[in-house]
Amino acid sequence: MKTKLTALLITILAALCAGSCKKHDLRLTTTDDVNISSYLAKYPDSFSLWSGILQRTEISNFLDMYGSYTVFAPTNSGVQAWLNANNIVDVGSADVDLLKDIVKFHILEDTLTTPSFKDGKLPVPTMHGQFIITGATNEGGVSRYRINRQALVTASNIRLGNGYVHVINQVLEPARQTVAQQLAANPDYSIFVEALKETGFYRVLDSIYSDSSRRWKTVLAETNQALADSGIHSYAALKAKYSNTHPADPSDSLNLYIAYHIIPGIQFLGDIINAPSYLTMQPQEVISTKLINNEVVINEDEFNGVVEKGVLLLRNKSDNAATNGVWHTAHAHFAAKLRKPTAVYWDLATFPEIMKQPAYYGKQGFTFNKSSQEDRPIRDIDWHYNGENYVSYIYNTTHSFTNYACKTDALQIPLGAPSNNNRAQWVEFSTPPIIKGRYKVWICYRNRNSVTINVRVNGELMQRPINVGQGYPGGNDTELESLGWKKYTLGGSFAGRLAGTVELRTTERHKLRFEAVSGSNREIIFDMVHFIPVDQVQYLPRFAPDGSMVWQ
Amino acid sequence: MKKAPFYILLIWVAAGSGSCKKWLNLKPENGIVGDEFWNTKEQVDAAVTGIYTSLQLNTELFFIWGEARADMVTPAVRASQDELDMVNLNMLPNNSFVNWRSFYQSINYCNTVIQMAPGVLQKDNTFTREHLNRAVGEAQAIRALLYFYLVRSFGEVPLKLDATLSDKNIQNLPKSSSAEVLEQIVSDLRNAEAGLPMTYGAIDQDKGRVTRYAVNAILADVYLWMDRYEDAIRECDKIITSNKFSLVSGFNFFTSIFYLGNSPESIFELQFDLQRLNPFYTMHHPDNRRWSASQLLPENVYGIDMVSPVPQADARGDERSFRSTDFTIWKYIGADDNGDNFRERDQSFAHWIFYRYADILLLKAEAMNEMNQPLEASRIVKTIRNRANAIDFKIMDSLNKEPMSVYILEERQRELAFEGKRWYDVLRNAKRNDYRRRQLLLDLAARSMPADRKQAAFNRLLDNNSHYFPVYFYELQTNKLLEQNPFYK
Repeated sequence: MKTKLTALLITILAALCAGSCKKHDLRLTTTDDVNISSYLAKYPDSFSLWSGILQRTEISNFLDMYGSYTVFAPTNSGVQAWLNANNIVDVGSADVDLLKDIVKFHILEDTLTTPSFKDGKLPVPTMHGQFIITGATNEGGVSRYRINRQALVTASNIRLGNGYVHVINQVLEPARQTVAQQLAANPDYSIFVEALKETGFYRVLDSIYSDSSRRWKTVLAETNQALADSGIHSYAALKAKYSNTHPADPSDSLNLYIAYHIIPGIQFLGDIINAPSYLTMQPQEVISTKLINNEVVINEDEFNGVVEKGVLLLRNKSDNAATNGVWHTAHAHFAAKLRKPTAVYWDLATFPEIMKQPAYYGKQGFTFNKSSQEDRPIRDIDWHYNGENYVSYIYNTTHSFTNYACKTDALQIPLGAPSNNNRAQWVEFSTPPIIKGRYKVWICYRNRNSVTINVRVNGELMQRPINVGQGYPGGNDTELESLGWKKYTLGGSFAGRLAGTVELRTTERHKLRFEAVSGSNREIIFDMVHFIPVDQVQYLPRFAPDGSMVWQ
Repeated sequence: MKKAPFYILLIWVAAGSGSCKKWLNLKPENGIVGDEFWNTKEQVDAAVTGIYTSLQLNTELFFIWGEARADMVTPAVRASQDELDMVNLNMLPNNSFVNWRSFYQSINYCNTVIQMAPGVLQKDNTFTREHLNRAVGEAQAIRALLYFYLVRSFGEVPLKLDATLSDKNIQNLPKSSSAEVLEQIVSDLRNAEAGLPMTYGAIDQDKGRVTRYAVNAILADVYLWMDRYEDAIRECDKIITSNKFSLVSGFNFFTSIFYLGNSPESIFELQFDLQRLNPFYTMHHPDNRRWSASQLLPENVYGIDMVSPVPQADARGDERSFRSTDFTIWKYIGADDNGDNFRERDQSFAHWIFYRYADILLLKAEAMNEMNQPLEASRIVKTIRNRANAIDFKIMDSLNKEPMSVYILEERQRELAFEGKRWYDVLRNAKRNDYRRRQLLLDLAARSMPADRKQAAFNRLLDNNSHYFPVYFYELQTNKLLEQNPFYK
C-alpha cells in the first residue's frame, strides 16, 4: 500500500515537473530596434552606395553603436549623381578623406525630427563643423523639406535604436569657399570686395579659425547696384565718401563702414530675427532687425517718435553659407548713423499692453498679475515672482498718488528687500531706444513710503541708492541739482532723484533694473525715468499733469 | 482514526462547494451582458444617452482641431510640445492630438444603436416605431457629425458603419475617399431628419439632443463644405422659417449664450453640468492655461474705438469672447461680462456649442454670396453686426462677391471666436474652386506662426495634403490597410 502510494506520488510529481519544464524562449535583448547602419544595410535597393561609403570611411561602425544621431541618408540615385559629378568611378576608388568630409556633413550628434526644422540653421552643427540650413519647398503641389538648399527629404523621422534617419534625394555638399572667396567670385559685389581688401577685412573673412567662438561671421554685403543707387559708382567714390586717413586704419571711416557690415557669429535670416539687435564689428554699434510683412528689415527704429526707414535684406540673395560664415545682401547702401546723444523722458506708464485698452488707459487703474516667473503679462517689464505678484497701472486726476504725475498716471510696484519674502525684490524694464553717450539717470517717483532701491543700467550699479520715501529738500533748482534732486512736476509730493551717470555704449534698448535693498512696501509709485545727456540742462523740462513739457 | 483524512476531505469539499455557489455562472455580477440588453425601450434610451456622454470626452479635440492651427489662439505657458507642433503646422504621426480613437469609440456607440435598436421592437410592445426612428435618428445624426469632423480634419478616413460588439467583429478597414465619406454623411443626415422630432418638450433636451433643426444645421454646414450652395440655403431656411430661434440681444450675448447656455439662439450644444465638467478650466485659466487668445484680436479683429469718450465696444469682443488685459479665452471660463470673475473650478460647465442661430445666418450669407448675391448676403451680415454693436473699422463692399466673401469670413471669426470653427472656415473658403484662394491659408500662417518658421510654413501650405492631419502611428501599426497621408511620410 505504502509503496503504491509513493509510486503514485512520484508519478504525479514527475508529471507536474515535465509540464513546467517547457522550453522558454529567452530574449536577451531589450529591443528589436535596429541601429542606423543596420537599417541602411537592410535596404540595399535604396542605400547600398551610401552604406558602401559608410563602410569605406569606417563610420558605419559607430553609427551602429549606442548614441543619439541624426543622419541624412541620400538614396542610391543621389549618391550616383554625386559620384558622376565628381568623376568618381566607384566608391572603392574614391579618396577616403573626401568621402569622410562628405559623410560627416550628413551626421548630427543629436536627435532632430522635422518639427525642429525651421527657416534657419539646425540647432547643432554637423560633425563636419558647418551648419545645415532647412526650409520647405513646393513642386507640383507637393511640399517637402529642403535641406541646405541642395536636397529634398523624401522620407522623414525614421526612428531607429540610436537616432533618426531622414532620407534625402541628393548628397549634401559642405561649402568649400570662405565668405570672402564667395563674394570675390561674384562680380556684382566688386566694389564691396575691393573695400574689404583695402580695409584688411578680406583677410578676416578669408580665414577659418578652429576656435568656434571666432570662426563664424555674418556679412551684410552691398551690391554695386545698391551702392550705385546712392550715387557711388566705383570704389574710388566710396573711398572718397568715407575715408579720411588710410582705409586699413581701424579708426578710418571706411574701415568702420565695412566693420559695420560684419556681425560676429553665424546668423541665417531665419535666425537673425530672433534677437532685436546685434553688435557689429564696428565698436559699440548695433544693427537692429525686424520682421515686417515677412521681410527681414534692418535698422528700422523709432527715435523720439520719428520712424527711420530701414534696409531690406533680399531673401533670394541671402543665406549664402560659406566655410566660415554666411552672407546676406542688403537692398540699399547703409552705414552707422552718427547721432548726437538726445534726452529721453520716459513715462513708465506708457506701454502697449495698457495703451491697447481704451477702457483703462487714461481712464482708470488696472493690475497686471503674474502667474509664474516665466509669465510676462507686460513684454517690456519683468519682475520677481514672489508674494504679491503684480504691477498696477494707476490713474486718477485727483488722488494725491497721481494728481501731478505726468499724464496723471503711474506704475505702482510692490517691492521688498530680500529679508521680506512677500514682495518682489526687483523689477526690470526695457528702455526705449537710447542713443549711445553719457547720460544722467533721474528716477522720478511719488515720494511716500521709505524703501531704498539700487538702480542698475545694463547690470551696472548706479552710484546712488534711492529712498523712494524721501522728497526733495528746500532750495532753488540749481541748489537742488547740485544735491541730486529736481522738481519734475508742477506740484504734489513728487521728486526726481539722480541715480548716477552712465555711459551707454550702444544705441539700442537698454535694461533698467530696480532692486530693493531695505524696507518693504506695497505702495511704491514710479512715474518717469529721465536719461539726459550730461552736457544738457538737467532740471528742465518739468511735466504737467496733461503730459506736456514746461520749460520754466 | 484512519478515517480522519476522509473527514478532512469531506469538510474541504463541503466548504469549497459552499463558497462557489454560482460556479457555473459565467456572467459578471456587476454588469449587464449583451444578451440581456436590448430588450426594453429604456435600454435603447440609455444607449442613446451614452452616445452624448461619450461626446463629452471629445470636447477638447473639438476645440483644438478647430482652433490650434488658426489665428485666434496662441499656445500659453503650459502648452505641450504636441500642441506647439500643431500650431507650427509641424506635426508628427505620434502627435497625441491627432489620435482619433475617441471619435471612433463614439461612432461605435452610434453604430450599436443603429444596429441593435430595431430588434427591440419585437421584444418590447411599448416601444413604438416613432420612438425607434428617433433613437436611430439621433445616432445617425451624431455619427454624421463625427464623420464630418473627421473628414474635415483628416481628409480621408475609414468608414465604419456597423457595430463592433465583440472581438469577433474587429476588422481592418482602408480609408474611404473624402467624397464617399461626405455622401454617407449626407445620406445619414437625411435619414435622421425624417425620424427626429422638432422638440423633446423641454428646453435642455431641445438644445442638448439632436432635433430636426440640429440635423438641418449640420446639413447646411456639410453642403457648404461640399460647395452645394442651394442645398445649404435650403437647410438654413428650414431653421430660419421655423421661427423657433432668434438672436439674443448684444447686451445678453455672453451671459445668455455662454454663461447660462441653452439660449434661444442655440440649436445644438453639448451639455455639461456639476456631475460632468468640461475640460476648459485647466485649458484656459490664466494660472495654468495651455491656450490664450491671440494678441491680434483687439486691434485687428474686433477693432478699438480710440475716438469716442465712452468707447464703442463690440459685444462679442473684449470681456465677452476674450479678456484683453491678459488674453484669457473668456467664453468658457468667465462668469460675468465685465472681465472680473472666473467660474469656480467645480462650476466649469459651460456648454460646447456645435451650432447656433448666428452661425446658420452666416452660413447662409456665405452660400448666397457664392451664388452671386452679395447684397442679400450683406444684409444678413449687418443683422449680425447690429446685434453686436460692431465697430465699423473696415468698409463692407456689399456689391462685389470677392470682398464680401472676405468680410463674411471675418464676421464669422468675430462671431464664432473660439467655438472650434476658425480653421475649418478658412480651409473651406481657401479650397473652394480648386484652391483659388489659397492665400487665405498663407495669411493665416503669417499671423499665427512664430517669425522663424513662417517661410517653411508658407511652402508647406502649398501642399494640399498638409491641410489635413497625419494618421496616428498606433492606428497604422494595428491596421495595415491604412495609408499615411503622403505629406507626413
